[in-house]
Amino acid sequence: MSAELANILRELIEKERLSALAVSANGFAFDPRSGQSFTVNHTGVATMELLLANHSIESTVGVLAKQYEMPTDVVLGSVEVFIRQLARYLA
Amino acid sequence: MSSLGRNKADWRSWNVAITGMNAQPDNPGPGLAVARCLRHAPEFRGRLIGLGYEVLDPGLYHRAVFDTSYLMPYPSEGLESQLERLLEIHAKEGIDLIIPCLDAELNTFAHNEERFAAAGMRMLLPQLEQLRLRAKDNLGELCSRLGIDTPETVRISDTGFFERCRDEGWSYPLVVKGIFYDAAIVNSPEEAKSAFHRIAAQWGYPVLAQQLVSGYEINLTAIGDGQGNMLGPVMMRKRAVTDKGKAWAGISILDTELEQMGRAILAATQWRGPLEVEALRSNDGRLYLIEVNPRFPAWVYLTHGVGCNLPQLLLRLVAGDHPLVLPQPAPGTLFIRYAEELVTTLEQFESMMIKGVLITPQAAGTV
Amino acid sequence: MSQDSEPRRGWEPPYIIPHRYDNSKFGRRIARDNCCHHIDGVDVEYLLSRYGSPLFIASERRLRDNVRRVRNIFERHYQPVIHGWSYKTNYTSAICNILHQEGSWAEVVSAFEYEKARHLGVPGNRIIFNGPNKGRAILERAIHEGARLHIDHIDELELIETIAKEQNKTVPITMRLNFNTGYTDPWNRFGFNLESGQAHSVVTRIKRSTQVRLTGLHSHIGTFILEPRAMSEQVRLMCQFMQEIEADGKCTIDALDIGGGLPSRNALQGIYLPPEQAVPAIDDFGEAVCTALSKGLAQRTAPPPLLFIESGRAVVDDAISLASTVVGTKQLPDGRAAAVLDAGINTMLTALWYHHPVKLTKPKPGNPVDTVLYGPLCMNIDVMRHSVYLPPLAVGDQLVFNPVGAYNNSQWLQFIEYRPPILLIHLDGECSIIREAETLPDLCRHDRLPAHLTSPGHVP
Ligand SMILES: Cc1ncc(COP(=O)(O)O)c(C=O)c1O
Repeated sequence: MSAELANILRELIEKERLSALAVSANGFAFDPRSGQSFTVNHTGVATMELLLANHSIESTVGVLAKQYEMPTDVVLGSVEVFIRQLARYLA
Repeated sequence: MSSLGRNKADWRSWNVAITGMNAQPDNPGPGLAVARCLRHAPEFRGRLIGLGYEVLDPGLYHRAVFDTSYLMPYPSEGLESQLERLLEIHAKEGIDLIIPCLDAELNTFAHNEERFAAAGMRMLLPQLEQLRLRAKDNLGELCSRLGIDTPETVRISDTGFFERCRDEGWSYPLVVKGIFYDAAIVNSPEEAKSAFHRIAAQWGYPVLAQQLVSGYEINLTAIGDGQGNMLGPVMMRKRAVTDKGKAWAGISILDTELEQMGRAILAATQWRGPLEVEALRSNDGRLYLIEVNPRFPAWVYLTHGVGCNLPQLLLRLVAGDHPLVLPQPAPGTLFIRYAEELVTTLEQFESMMIKGVLITPQAAGTV
Repeated sequence: MSQDSEPRRGWEPPYIIPHRYDNSKFGRRIARDNCCHHIDGVDVEYLLSRYGSPLFIASERRLRDNVRRVRNIFERHYQPVIHGWSYKTNYTSAICNILHQEGSWAEVVSAFEYEKARHLGVPGNRIIFNGPNKGRAILERAIHEGARLHIDHIDELELIETIAKEQNKTVPITMRLNFNTGYTDPWNRFGFNLESGQAHSVVTRIKRSTQVRLTGLHSHIGTFILEPRAMSEQVRLMCQFMQEIEADGKCTIDALDIGGGLPSRNALQGIYLPPEQAVPAIDDFGEAVCTALSKGLAQRTAPPPLLFIESGRAVVDDAISLASTVVGTKQLPDGRAAAVLDAGINTMLTALWYHHPVKLTKPKPGNPVDTVLYGPLCMNIDVMRHSVYLPPLAVGDQLVFNPVGAYNNSQWLQFIEYRPPILLIHLDGECSIIREAETLPDLCRHDRLPAHLTSPGHVP
């Protein structure tokens, strides 16, 4: 499960799908390959920044949980959903 | 933009907000055409503010016509949402006049009229009672009162009608219509049902069924002064239509019977504000009223073309310019509609999507 | 509530939503002042903490104001007017008694409702008895107690004649009519049809009877009528029918009952404009009905008939709110936000037909997003709102649905959950529970265990 998710994430990063996404401070994101634009909320932006800075899923979750004072498992669940969304929209 | 120093009585320098930015190629909303009438009126030097509902409404990005533009909440979100958003925009732009251009929003604007007026935003638009009288499902009553022919129309809320209707003297093809927008000519109960469901899903109930009269369509647009008078009628016959039945080319005409029909409607309803009368001259030469739309039509630019610029007339009316001497529009002027691409940047699109407003260049002014 | 920037933003599940041309946050933007902190001056969050969640909250003041207003609107133009409280709309005892104190009669449609009205102390001669299933026993009682009988079908008419004979009486009856007003879909399964001539032939039959006497006409053209002209046409047709049947002097109508149908400010699914614009004022209906009535009665010499109105929804709907709490949040695969509430269609069945307006109890930071509100049931259809713009929700957030007073406290389901209590805010601001929350003993009370099933068996 978690290994599968890590694979999904690795692919997004290795194929530069995540780094290609231009995200503005407003949460407006644009994918130059597909021409699709998106709204990303502030926690989404924070998550993407961490993932792009080569944090593992575990460490991303750890940082977010600390920063937002949230239980780790709650953050983990949402981050998993978020990574799957990224994979679907950026595939 | 400060409203200080502007002469409120002088319509030529007003800030005019206009809705109906959905100038799609196959079925344009009228707002862009209304704005072009004002932009091309020689005396007008004011600012034009586009008000759109969807982020890809083309008019929002038309810098040659609009000085700036904003996104608004849909009328279905209610009076308070609309009021709040317009007051926000008003605080930045100092709006003198709003010209609503879409059927589905007029009710909401009419409800909010007094509150807009209190904030200094004026409108010339029909009152709720007038909107009710011309509603598609009430038109039959208005017509029978005025002795005007109109195709028989019934309101339906389930599809059983389309099976029953042959027993009630109806025949296919007939027309299925939405209460605000959309109409389809259908040839069988099956087609009718699918049109019914499509229209109900978007515009709700009731849906209308109307008998089809064959002939050619002629339209009139004018402004009512609220005292029963019709000002500046311009008439047009569609010469070519898209496959959705929308005018693609048209020509100005002079049909005294249509003019008479318009006059009767305006007098009976004490109409205030713009309207469009859609009529049909049947193959046997009779004139039928099809619809009365409580706003300018998408072809309103033709009124500028025939020298009887109705949006400009609207401003002058609101400003109290009297008496108004209007030229008689000459028949035989054509319009031919074409599509054109606007080019805009990702930054503009982002700003519209996220902030609901176009990025205005430093010295905002007319283009 | 700030739309764009907040000083410190709390946690919300991260999301990325693809843009469509129609999903900018401006199109569906909600008005800012969109919270329901108090009801009649009482703090909703306090009530939830004290009485638990979910909780129905009824306003006595609103209920009394509503029924007075509805009756006054008709009385301004016509007298005498009697309001029959439609029990099915909400038969919570305290609600019924508030309305009876205001002078409303009881309008009942079944043996249970009849017995309940009598149990509350309503005399038989202030009960209007509608409905297609009145059994022999309850009819005997109703005839004995002098209730107003509204007949639905011919077999019922025969049964009434039989009972009347046994009780040695001539029973006054009212006929329920159905017809097409042209404005709403005809409810032609109830009563006798006008257009087909059925109603006329039944009148002929009644006129020959020695056991029954036709004294009233009734019709109820449907609920949540949005077109005042539907009701003016209803009255016109009823008056016309009355004149026709009175012409031979063999019957005199002393009451016209126009049923219910007045709308409340709820958002019926499939109506484009919001209720504030789509729902006409009750005054418009009152005027439409009374104008038609005075036209219809102009030629008539008999004393003006009693006008009965059986308005249910318009009287009670906005007098009751449902407060509930978020118990979980989710993100749907399509990126939309969702929240699970502790109240679902088990408590608010009318969510199947209406988009009930809903507000938070207090402002929340965060941009409103398209949110689905689910109930607690294990059924896919348990959706309170399919799409509503709310700030990102979190566990513990409290939401208030209003109006919910019509048909929910009678149609609610006891499915997997206990039904919640109903609280009444009195005129003086005091509060009391007018219906207790269900408990396990309540739900087990009707179960019976045969001797061999008294224990679950071989449990180790
Ligand atoms: C006979 C009758 N009277 C009155 C009512 C109350 O209707 P409303 O709640 O629409 O006023 C109903 C509801 O269905 C009814 O069937």
